[in-house]
Formats: sequence, C-alpha cells, structure tokens
Amino acid sequence: MIKVNKHSTASSTIRSILVTIAVLSLIVCLTAGSTQAVGLTINKTTAQSNQIVGNNIIGGVPTRITWEATVGANETVKQITLVFPEGTALGEGANSKATVLDDLTRLDAPQTSTISAEQTTVTFDEPVASGLLIRIEMYFIALPEASGEYRLTGSYVDSAGKERELQASRAISVISATTVDVITLWMDDQPWVELWNSVLFLKVFLNPQLIVASIPALFLGWLRSLLLVLVGFPLAIPIGLAISFLRMSKLRIIRFFAAIYVNVIRGTPLFLQIYIAFFGLPFLGISIDSYILGILVLAVNSSAYLAEIFRAGIQSIPKGQFEASASLGMHPAQTMFHVILPQTIRRVIPTATSEFILLYKDTSLLAAVGVMEQMMFAKSMVASTGNMTPYIVSAGYYLLITLPLTKIIAEFEKKLAAADDNSSAPDDKKKPKMSLLERMKSIQKIKALRNKK
Amino acid sequence: MTSMSSLQHTNEQPVVRIIDLHKYFGSLEVLKGVDLEVSRGEVVTIMGPSGSGKSTLLRCINLLEKPTSGQVWFDDICITDPKTNINKLREHVGMVFQSFNLFPHLSAKGNIMLALKKVLKRSQEEAEQIALDQLAKVGLSDRADYRPSQLSGGQQQRVAIARALAMDPQVMLFDEATSALDPELVRGVLDVMRELAKGGMTMIVVTHEMGFARDVADRAVFMDEGVIVEQGCPEALFDNPQHERTRDFLGHII
Repeated sequence: MIKVNKHSTASSTIRSILVTIAVLSLIVCLTAGSTQAVGLTINKTTAQSNQIVGNNIIGGVPTRITWEATVGANETVKQITLVFPEGTALGEGANSKATVLDDLTRLDAPQTSTISAEQTTVTFDEPVASGLLIRIEMYFIALPEASGEYRLTGSYVDSAGKERELQASRAISVISATTVDVITLWMDDQPWVELWNSVLFLKVFLNPQLIVASIPALFLGWLRSLLLVLVGFPLAIPIGLAISFLRMSKLRIIRFFAAIYVNVIRGTPLFLQIYIAFFGLPFLGISIDSYILGILVLAVNSSAYLAEIFRAGIQSIPKGQFEASASLGMHPAQTMFHVILPQTIRRVIPTATSEFILLYKDTSLLAAVGVMEQMMFAKSMVASTGNMTPYIVSAGYYLLITLPLTKIIAEFEKKLAAADDNSSAPDDKKKPKMSLLERMKSIQKIKALRNKK
Repeated sequence: MTSMSSLQHTNEQPVVRIIDLHKYFGSLEVLKGVDLEVSRGEVVTIMGPSGSGKSTLLRCINLLEKPTSGQVWFDDICITDPKTNINKLREHVGMVFQSFNLFPHLSAKGNIMLALKKVLKRSQEEAEQIALDQLAKVGLSDRADYRPSQLSGGQQQRVAIARALAMDPQVMLFDEATSALDPELVRGVLDVMRELAKGGMTMIVVTHEMGFARDVADRAVFMDEGVIVEQGCPEALFDNPQHERTRDFLGHII
C-alpha cells in the first residue's frame, strides 16, 4: 500500500477495481434476495405458552402452534402439509385452520383440512396467489414431552400439481413440565377446582392453580425483599446509635444538626426519599446498583427512627445508673458501653423489632423504582395472568415474617414487664401478676367508686 | 457553730475538707456556705429535714453535683479544681445510694466486678475473688450469681455496699442508704455499716436512723435550709440540742 501511495496513477486504477467489486457484490446480493422469493418463505413458527406462569412451552401439553409463510413470486399454492416432530400428540378437539392475508386484509379462503398426530394438511379450494401470506394455526397440539428444539417440516403443492419440499421452520423451544406445571395442569381437570373457580371472588383472589404457581415463582422475590431488610436494618443500627449520641450531645450545634437529620427523615415519606435518591443521584453523575441503593435508602430512613428509639431507651435508664457508675470511677464511655447500653438493648428490642417489621414491609415501595423484590415479582405475575392471586400469595409471604415477629415482640414485652415488676417488688413473686389492662381496669373501678362517694 | 467537738480528731489532717460550699439549682440556693471537715476514721452522720441540702452536700463530695462555688478537698487534692481527674478521685470515694442503683443486667458478683475490671484493670480472676470476699463480708456469699431483681431490697443494698467497698475506698458516703427499705430489712444494712465503722472506715452518712447515729457516729451534724445549724457528738446533739430548729426536727422524728 505504501508503494501504491507513491504512484498516483496506480492508486486510481486500484480504486476503480474496488468500486467495480462493490457494484458486482451488490447485484449478487439483490439476485440472491429475489431467488429467496421463489417458493414459500416461512415468516414465523411459534407456539403459544401453555404455562400458567411464565412464557415457556411445555412438552406433552396441548398448545397452539402458528405457522406463517409468504407465497413466492410467479407461484401459487394449492395445498400445504406440515409434518409435526416425532412424538407429537393431539389434544382433544385438535384442528388446524389456514388464514390468507393480503397485507392486513383477510381474504376469503375456502379450504379443507385434515389433522393427525403426524401431520396436518390444508387444501385450498382456489390456489393462493403469489405474494399472499398464509397463516396456519394448529390448535391443541401437544409437542413432544422431552425438552428440546422442534421444527415443523413438510411440503406444498402448487397449482400445477407439483409438490415441493418446505424449508424447515424456525425452532420452537420446548421444556419438559415442571412439578408446578404438572400440579396446575392436574388441577385444571379437577371438579372441585372448577367449582371453586366458578365463584368469581375465589377465582380472582384465591385461584388454586395460581396459588400453586405463585408460591415458587415469588420465592426469589421474597428472598430478595428479605435480603434488602436483613442488610439494610443492621446497617441502620450503628448509624442510628451514632445519631442518638449526637442527639444527646452537650454541644447545641451538634444536637441541632442531629435533630434536623431525624426530623427531616421521619417527617417525609420513605416513598419520596426513594424517588429523590433514585432519580436525584443520576443527576449528580452517581450511578449505584439499584438494589444496593435500595438498601442504602432503607438504612438511612430506618436510622432516623432507630436513633429516636435508642435515645428514648437510653434516657429511660434511671439517672441512678449513671451516678452509680460515675461514683465507681467509670468514664462516661465505660458507663455507656458496660452499664447503659446493655440495659438499653433489652428495653428497645420490642420497639426496634417493630421498626424492623415496618422496614420489611416498606421494602415493597422500592418496586416503584424498579428494584427487583417481592412486590415487583407479584406485580409482573398479576400483569401476565390478569388475576389478583399472586398479590394474595405475596401477602402470605410478608406475613410469614411479620406474624412470628409480632408474636415474639409480645412475648418479650411480657417478659420485660415481669422483670420490671420483680425488680420493684422482689417479695411479690408469688402473687399472680396483673396485666396492664387488668391494672387499668382496677384503677378505673377505684376511680368510679370514688366518684360515687 | 460548735466546731469544738471535731477537735478530738484533729491529730491528723482531715481527709475531707469542705470550705464555704455554695450550690444553686437554677435560682434556688440549696447550699448556702457549708464548711465541714472529716478526719480519717471518723464517722459523721448528717441529719436534717428534706430539702435541707444534706444529700446535695454529700453528692458534692464526689462531684455528682458540681458546686457553684467553694472548695472540696480530698487529702491534699482540691477536687473542685477543674484540672483534677475526677474519675481517679471517685475510685477512692465509695458511695451508697438510697435507691441502691445496682446494675440490673449483672449478677451480684458482676456488679462488683465491673468497676474492678474496667477501672482498676484487675483480671477476671482477681476481680472475681475480690467480689466473693466482699459478698462474704456483707453476708451474701450464697447470692453471688443472683440478679438484683432476685434479691430483696436489703440484700441489694448490701451488694451495693460491697460494690463500693471492693474499690478499696478511703471514704464512704451513704445517702439515706436505709430510707427505701422495709423496716425489717434495715437492720441487716445497718449491721454492715456498723461493722464498717468498727473497722475504721471514714464514713459520711446521711441518715435518719438516730439509733445508728448514737451507736456509731463520732459526730452528728444537723443541717437545715442549706447550712449546718449545729453539730457535735450525737449524745449532746440529740439530748441537748442548742438550736430551736434542731429541737423542732428531733421532736418530729422521735
């Protein structure tokens, strides 16, 4: 090439050769294109998903197969035979039907069709003219049970009676039925399910097949939601504790800023904070993985609530505890870590657990900004099934965490109350304990008696 | 002011010296110029109606309350000097509170061991040994592993005393140590305090227990409205009070 550049005459010769080659190749391409138009060109071969949840085609279960082809130039089509892959079976009421289209206009195409487990044949009364589109829909065809890529083969007959081989169709991916598919398909045939689903409310909210299908389908979403809070909440604890210390600082300015942090975060909706973080940070050129950003927003939000919980907990510790520690020569930090915090933790466990529950439920808000979590999974299932059942199953998944925790909180509060009773009156142990409610009732009774007098 | 009676202990320098102590809570003057000296080994009881400033005075000695003006000396250290390391000083001044203030999350033993380990940097074994020894002294060896909530008030207070004593203090302050106790539990605590006094501990005791003061105290101090009204040996003070206010008060509590 360097030599060519030195001799300008030689370079122009080469240029003209290159142009010639380009033109020639263009012609070849166009010719090739027109040769493709000869014969039937298959446009599409698809099967409709027969899975209750998901977009897969399950083998062995009836589905609808759609096959489309365009009639080539200078050609007419009288008959088409499509051969099914080996192992195909027919469902009840299996049939096939051809539609002829001129662009978007549907043409009248009288026809006769036959179908068997091996093949289907459509014969047109009048040959289909060139350039028209033939769509053959085959109903209730069960593709082979084994998973794999399946193609339709076959042949067609033109108006002259000449039979030609069809190009092989595009492959249809078939998976073998999962346990869930097997169960839901079995349920489809059960009379009680039919009866159940005949009640609109039950069908829409508690569809048995969708309950079965949703449980595994939402499991990953449940894990992702749980992980959001299981990482976010522990992250919020040290931040919250630090903020609570700042809230109790001797310096007014520090108290002031800590108060702003707490009040702004607690005084605005988490939903808004999520929007600000998710749509605001990209403006600053900061891009964080949405799942991680979700965790961070949850942690920051929860830290403000925890700060107040911790502060209340620390301030509920009697002054005498601080004084006793001080009188023993302990530094404020030693007092905090060895005397105050261990007692605070016990006291704040119920409220902090409530906060955990709130935060767990609030992970659902992240669905609004596209974080893949349980709500998002349920939402897409509802969209694809047009049924509310996935939301109900989702509710079950949330309750799986929140109900036991609520129970634990109640138990813990009972224990704490009992411990407090003991410490104030150690000799009362044998007396039956009055619950708070009972106590309030008895106080009311006494008051009522007094008023009577 | 009868400062004569304290002369019997002046053969050495007083261990606690309070000079012209004033304390305000806001605009309320709780201590209006208090002077008090306590010699080594002396047991001083402070009495007075509530609001007289006796507890505040006691709490000023280990700086749980910061005096507004005046000085508190411990040996030759001025503890009201801001440069003094107050935590260091508090190791040598034990305090027992009316409300016990045991750490509820720790066992009796754990209560005693905490400051030993964290402040005096004793090892776990050493601290445990000291704790058990101290518990034995207050008669609670069998309660070492009990939580405060499992102990009676009297037992809790004895643990609190053991906790303070474990730090090997030079002065013990008692702030109405028996006031929160049921009468039948007071005795055990007072017995411990008597033993302590016999052992030569310097004690400043805010109490209403006349019997205890008579038996144990070297000196009784009567305070009212933020000043020391009268002080002297307990017999003289109780049987022959010089001031109207003292007589009034004693007339009320006997």
